Amino acid sequence: MKTEQRWDKLAADTRQRLEAASAYIGAGKRVKAEDTVALLKAVIRSGDRVNIEGNNQKQADFLADCLNKVDPAEIHDLHMVQSCVPLASHLDMFERGIAKKLDFAFGGPQAGRVAKFIREGKIQLGAIHTYLELFGRYFLDLTPRVSLICAYEADREGNLYTGFNTEDTPVIVEATKFRQGIVIAQVNKIVDKLPRVDIPADWVDAVVESPKPFFIEPLFTRDPGLVTDNHILLGMLALKGIYAEYKVKRINHGIGFLTSAIELILPTYGAELGLKGEVCTHMVLNPHPTMIPAIEDGWVDTIHCFGGELGMEDYVKARSDIFFTGPDGSLRSNRAFAQTAGHYALDMFIGGTLQIDEWGNSSTATANRVSGFGGAPNMGCDAKGRRHATESWLKCGQEVPHMADQIGAMPRGKRLVVQGAETFGEGRAPTFVEKLDAWQLAENAGLDLPPVMIYGDDVTHIVTEEGVAYLNRAPDMATRMAAIRAAAGYTEVGLKADPAETRRLRDANIFKTPEDLGIDRNRANRDLLAARSMRDLVDISGGLYNPPARFRNW
Amino acid sequence: MPNWNRLQTNSFLECSARDRAVGLVDEGSFVELGGPFDRLVSPHLVALGEAVENDDGIVTGVGRIGARPVFVISQEGRFIGGSVGEVGGAKMVGIIDMAIDFNDRLVAEFPDLPPSARPLVAISFETGGVRLHEANAGLLAHAEVMDALQRARHKVPVVALIGSRIGCFGGMGFVAAATDAIVMSEFGRLGLTGPEVIEQEMGKDEFDASNRALVYRTTGGRHKYVMGDANFLVDDTVAAFRAQLADLCALPVSSFEAMRRIGSPELVEKQLRGVALAAELKPSDARDVWRHAGNNDPVGLADGPLADFRKSVRRLAL
Repeated sequence: MKTEQRWDKLAADTRQRLEAASAYIGAGKRVKAEDTVALLKAVIRSGDRVNIEGNNQKQADFLADCLNKVDPAEIHDLHMVQSCVPLASHLDMFERGIAKKLDFAFGGPQAGRVAKFIREGKIQLGAIHTYLELFGRYFLDLTPRVSLICAYEADREGNLYTGFNTEDTPVIVEATKFRQGIVIAQVNKIVDKLPRVDIPADWVDAVVESPKPFFIEPLFTRDPGLVTDNHILLGMLALKGIYAEYKVKRINHGIGFLTSAIELILPTYGAELGLKGEVCTHMVLNPHPTMIPAIEDGWVDTIHCFGGELGMEDYVKARSDIFFTGPDGSLRSNRAFAQTAGHYALDMFIGGTLQIDEWGNSSTATANRVSGFGGAPNMGCDAKGRRHATESWLKCGQEVPHMADQIGAMPRGKRLVVQGAETFGEGRAPTFVEKLDAWQLAENAGLDLPPVMIYGDDVTHIVTEEGVAYLNRAPDMATRMAAIRAAAGYTEVGLKADPAETRRLRDANIFKTPEDLGIDRNRANRDLLAARSMRDLVDISGGLYNPPARFRNW
Repeated sequence: MPNWNRLQTNSFLECSARDRAVGLVDEGSFVELGGPFDRLVSPHLVALGEAVENDDGIVTGVGRIGARPVFVISQEGRFIGGSVGEVGGAKMVGIIDMAIDFNDRLVAEFPDLPPSARPLVAISFETGGVRLHEANAGLLAHAEVMDALQRARHKVPVVALIGSRIGCFGGMGFVAAATDAIVMSEFGRLGLTGPEVIEQEMGKDEFDASNRALVYRTTGGRHKYVMGDANFLVDDTVAAFRAQLADLCALPVSSFEAMRRIGSPELVEKQLRGVALAAELKPSDARDVWRHAGNNDPVGLADGPLADFRKSVRRLAL
């Protein structure tokens, strides 16, 4: 006997919620800004999984503020599933009891409050993810019921233009809408005709014209004026000791000053090393302004972007041979695809870090801040599912002496994962430590694991002002630790280095000093930079780069 | 000693005080006087248990540009923000007086000496003004420098060079205004009250010191050039500052009178016309003044390359 079973309960529930909201949704799915709180009350139920769009760049800040205005007696215990929680409002809703559980990837400026709230029980932490990991779970066990997203413009039908800062929007909408969820968009402006359609109107349920444009952070802008001689030395070591050594073409650069320095010495020192066309031809990165000199000098074939960067709109538009742009000419960034490229298609990830332990585990966690991971671990790891070969990937793999312990005689490549840092960082805090602060954080915030950005077995190279440690060439943990000590300078870890052992490592090419690499330290100064100021970047871009006000010194 | 030829292409903005002093005059001609080995340190800082510098943050000396003896003062912003205290101020006064004295003796002995062979003083400012640690002694030092400038008037031209990180603010902003000619780069800043102090006293709505674009279009070289507060606007290289200084070195002291912004009844009248204009125009932003001066696209003008700016800018006529 067949029992009657309903298979469309989700769709029916969605219809019911939208009916409850119908009084506020006008033609073209338009909702008045002042009705937004009422709209959210109508479509969100206690216990829902809710996504507020926002990453380290653009933010659905108006919708976040509105969600904070609902009565916690009516709507409570929401399960927030979202990339980042950088706005105060993201945490306020936990304070007020509107939200209870959190699954996320990156904390940003609120990292301290996240740790505190977890400790106080105001946040029930699901997990801290990488972006791709979290996006993956949107399609499995963390699908949002309601998503509050953010776009530049909507047209009269409700089609959306996310443009330059498309970022996470497609993946959120796809996961939500195709599982009968509800998508509400805040836009800066409603227009007659969009430059292009990024999200079709029938994937969107309501559109609110926000009283002010969404907040966006120029997170990837580094002022060349702040690049120090030490950054430049590290950049020279990386270029000669790693880029040139492995001929790495497909690269992601992290956010710090080390990689800015590298970008700015490509047209000078890089050219001198004959690396043009040999390295950095294919990049996955946001439109870093410090890439302008290298792009103008013809180093780069392709750049795919996770997100946009304020001020780079016109430059990118005028360089469509390099960047992925839409039919309207403006950049199409897409975090999910850029992270996929970053995970599978890159030969190297290079970035800075806060702490490295004696085994090479690397972390940006501090004892009282749950900063999360963002995308770095997706790129700062060896992608085990990778099957295509490139010269640099093969070479890095061939150098691993213990590969046979794992897979016998079978050859295999390895991603280069480079951590670069001065031995002492900000506030003279040592980069090399016996125990990562991540352990203390795990205890303080009750985490299952110390949050490690990049595990030691994935780190293949460490660059400091002492030189380059080729960890991939170390035959065993003892050698690996000795190479880390050699790179660790005058930190507690570095002071344990045995000069005789370091000498043996240098002879075995497992550690190289600047002198071993033929690098004259005296040349490591700002004369090497292809641009020494924001103004230089503007001039080199032919006036196309338009830096945010806070970066302008003219 | 830094490599003089390499210094020439360096960014003036990034140069240390000593590099600027060496690079501004002819190759190999700079002789430092009252240098670090003389250990002229601030007694006030010692009393407060603060770190001192053996030149008190000011490089003084003499070099040549062609036949002209150039007495150089160069301030170092990396030592307590280029603040001027008792010792640094005395060094400035000492070098200005030395230039005046040398001029007097030269002219007495060689009355026909061409202007291009007579002393000139060049001051490379990088300072927030008085060193607060030294209180009245620091303020007095400023007054003494002003006094020395008055003594130099009509005898030894004094040229201000402003294009370093800290800019030229506080009491030293007055001192710079009292020189005969001012050379700036677009990164140079000149003013009395620094941006952070304005924000602190008047609030962020009045002046947002973190808005660098606002700070620069209010105090920066381009704006000062439009306003006539700066006489010359040069590129950000040591060579460009040096070239402008060398041009000025060809002129007799009388030619500098026309470059002055203050210091005569006519100039007071002119300044008053500026005050009246401000009252009438009620500018809410430097751009309003640029527009009034005849620049139709102040935003584009501020953003374009410096060479274009110099070509097309209209300066305020008062």
